[in-house]
Amino acid sequence: MIFDPRHTVFVILSFEGPDVYSQAGGLGVRAKGLSRALSEQGYETYLYFCGDPDLPGVEDLEFGRLHYRRWSQWISARHRGGVYDGEDGKIRDWNSSLPASLIDNVIAPAVASDKTVVVMGEEWHTTWCMNLISDDLHYRGLRDRVVMLWNANNTFGFQRINWSTLSFATTITTVSRYMKFRMWEWGQNPMVIPNGIPRSSIRDADPAAVAELSAAAAADLFCFKIGRFDPDKRWLMAMSAAAYLKRHGRTVRLLIRGGREPHGGEVISHALNQGLTLLNANTPADPAGLAALLRDNRDADVINLTSFVPDELVPVIYSACDAVLANSGHEPFGLVGLEVMAAGGLAVTGSTGEDYAEAYRNALVLETDDPIELVTELVLMKERPALVAAMRKKGRATAREYVWDKVIEQLLLRIEFAAARQSIKVTASGAQPREGTRSRARTNPLKAASQTSRRNL
Amino acid sequence: MAENLIVYAVVHQPRRLRLPAKVIPQRTTPDEIADYLFDDAMDKRYFDKVAQYAYAPASEMFIDMTRRGWRMSIGFSNSFLVQAERWNPAVLDSFKKLCASPNVEVVCVEPYHSWLLYLDIAAFKDSMLWARKRLEDVFQKPVTVTDTTEMFMSNDVYFALQQCGFAGALMEGRPWQLSGREPTNVYRYAGQRMALLPRHHELSDDVGYRFSNQSWSGWPLMADTYARWLREAWGDLVTLGWDFETFGEHHRRDSGIFEFTGGLPAQLRKQKVRMMLPSEAIAELGQQRRDIPINEYGTTWAGDGGMEFFIGNPAQQGVFRLMHHAYSKARLTGDETLIELARWLLQSDNLHLIQWFGRVGSQAEVSAYFTPDEWWELGSNGIIREQQRVYLNFIRALDSYAG
Repeated sequence: MIFDPRHTVFVILSFEGPDVYSQAGGLGVRAKGLSRALSEQGYETYLYFCGDPDLPGVEDLEFGRLHYRRWSQWISARHRGGVYDGEDGKIRDWNSSLPASLIDNVIAPAVASDKTVVVMGEEWHTTWCMNLISDDLHYRGLRDRVVMLWNANNTFGFQRINWSTLSFATTITTVSRYMKFRMWEWGQNPMVIPNGIPRSSIRDADPAAVAELSAAAAADLFCFKIGRFDPDKRWLMAMSAAAYLKRHGRTVRLLIRGGREPHGGEVISHALNQGLTLLNANTPADPAGLAALLRDNRDADVINLTSFVPDELVPVIYSACDAVLANSGHEPFGLVGLEVMAAGGLAVTGSTGEDYAEAYRNALVLETDDPIELVTELVLMKERPALVAAMRKKGRATAREYVWDKVIEQLLLRIEFAAARQSIKVTASGAQPREGTRSRARTNPLKAASQTSRRNL
Repeated sequence: MAENLIVYAVVHQPRRLRLPAKVIPQRTTPDEIADYLFDDAMDKRYFDKVAQYAYAPASEMFIDMTRRGWRMSIGFSNSFLVQAERWNPAVLDSFKKLCASPNVEVVCVEPYHSWLLYLDIAAFKDSMLWARKRLEDVFQKPVTVTDTTEMFMSNDVYFALQQCGFAGALMEGRPWQLSGREPTNVYRYAGQRMALLPRHHELSDDVGYRFSNQSWSGWPLMADTYARWLREAWGDLVTLGWDFETFGEHHRRDSGIFEFTGGLPAQLRKQKVRMMLPSEAIAELGQQRRDIPINEYGTTWAGDGGMEFFIGNPAQQGVFRLMHHAYSKARLTGDETLIELARWLLQSDNLHLIQWFGRVGSQAEVSAYFTPDEWWELGSNGIIREQQRVYLNFIRALDSYAG
């Protein structure tokens, strides 16, 4: 291994992180999972994120290998609405205070210890910070010891990114081929490094709980949909499909968990106007409670869970329902679909960023936004139990290919390329260049010089 | 929260072209050519007007304020000094009185307010050294900090100014110009000595540009509000940069600009904002290591902050090219008087005041504001045509001397 744990330090910069305060979507899950997986592999890993203002600013975990650095807590303390509350102020705070601190306290000591540092920025909020870090590293003569990657998890904020500067300072990555193509629109051609899931997520939920929940639903079709109330998630399509099935004499139970977004009102209105009966309810603490909720409200076609769904409960629901509707029209990666597969459930995905989804092999993959397509797929599924069983089994196998350990293997290989491209000077005892990358630079002084000057800027 | 404040104002009057252009007869002596190129009568009219509305009352106000603790820095173009000496020595005396205060620092400015820095960086250096000496002679105090022309800054200009021995320079501080850094610190180009003081674009323009705009959400701007905004600014130090003509000319007396400015010192004290001179800020706050890249294409305080404001339309590009040719031809003559005239023809104002050509919007309005009223009789195409003819006439007139 070129970037081995003894001689490599990882730094992840992400607004979202592991705290409840810091979680708004898939990015928090990614930052938490990736940082933990790296540290479990033995890498010293730093995660800088906008953490809970009431938790320690500095926290060391995983036997001292995983370091949480909660940044901008002084702003978060005045913006209690979550990670993106006070967003612009936090960006300014990161830009003005994080680069110097990171270099003084992490990068410079690591380089002095003959280690190579990999800095990975996530999402548009960190783009200025990445540029500033690159500049400061250059001024301090350290730029050739740090591999810098910047990753896009969504298209949010693309209009605010100075792409030419960012692509000069970093190697740009993203999480799916769909995102790669979307970024072509911005003149970028990023490397694709997929998201991952924790190995621990690949397990069977308690069969008794699953059976009880499934029985409690007592419906021809029991489905679950979770995500932000965002038109991109195609909530209206899901509601239309459920209503269509009901109108055609099938009993449907649709369990939903959205967010606080205003589109939620539109979704609820649409469901009611389509003739669905809806119940708003706090999320029960455990599967038994949820089963009781379903049993006690048999008239409710849609049950809208209005509070946080505990991590322990989610896999049970994934496993118990007939399908999880991850039918987004714009999905950069689609972590939910992969988590469903890990839990042994059946995912219905859209056709955008879910590179892992293969139609009728490990998932139902929708090609349109037509509710009739969703209806057709769900009905077909009820008529082909053997196919469903095969898809669930294959889905589990797919999930195993995306555990963080395997994704990190890919990541490390990509980092080699990024390091060669950025002309990173590897340490004497640590990372060594592969043949065919640095060797070319060595034999061509002109090219080496141009690469160096390019990087330096 | 910014606890420190620098106030900088630049005093400048352009040497206006004579339009419509006058053909320069063959064998006109170098000393006589100036009359064909420049409109002294127009300059005097404008100078007297600005002196009445701005220079006299504003300098009087600041003299009074500096006695009560107000601190500021002022830059003077030689273009202004020459006109003041010719037509209104009393105005210059008033400025000398103001600058005699220990609470005022004199800042160097490119003497011709020109784009010489684009054509001849070595000559630019000489010109800056000359300007520093000229200002030190006029105002009898050392000059260690500099502006350029239109607050232009680029990588090469930085090094030129550093070679001149300046301790610091002003530059425009918009986010893109600072690569996302805050404008509220003292910076240096990595590994170099000369400090950079970025102007706070938004807070400066609140007064310099928006103050009398009644459709602005911040109107009417009061001293207490503005002092609070300054205090609440992110970082250590806010540097405000204005035209000196802001006080009485860009914003007339009835806008309340004098009352606003006069009320600032008390409000700044209330907000615990300390006023500093640029050299003090560099000495006190410049010790922290804050490196910054400098845009190689150059940045200015005009328009969107790049050179597009000056060379963004075909008319400007035409004049810019003629500026080059005029200067080059004059250099070929070896005649110092002609070279001096060519430098005057490099004035940025000659590009600034035709930014409106082919454009609309707020920047074009600013540009048109600086176009002499008398010129509009020529029509917009006529202004462009006649302006270029001045340069053409000059270049042809040098035939006799470059042969």
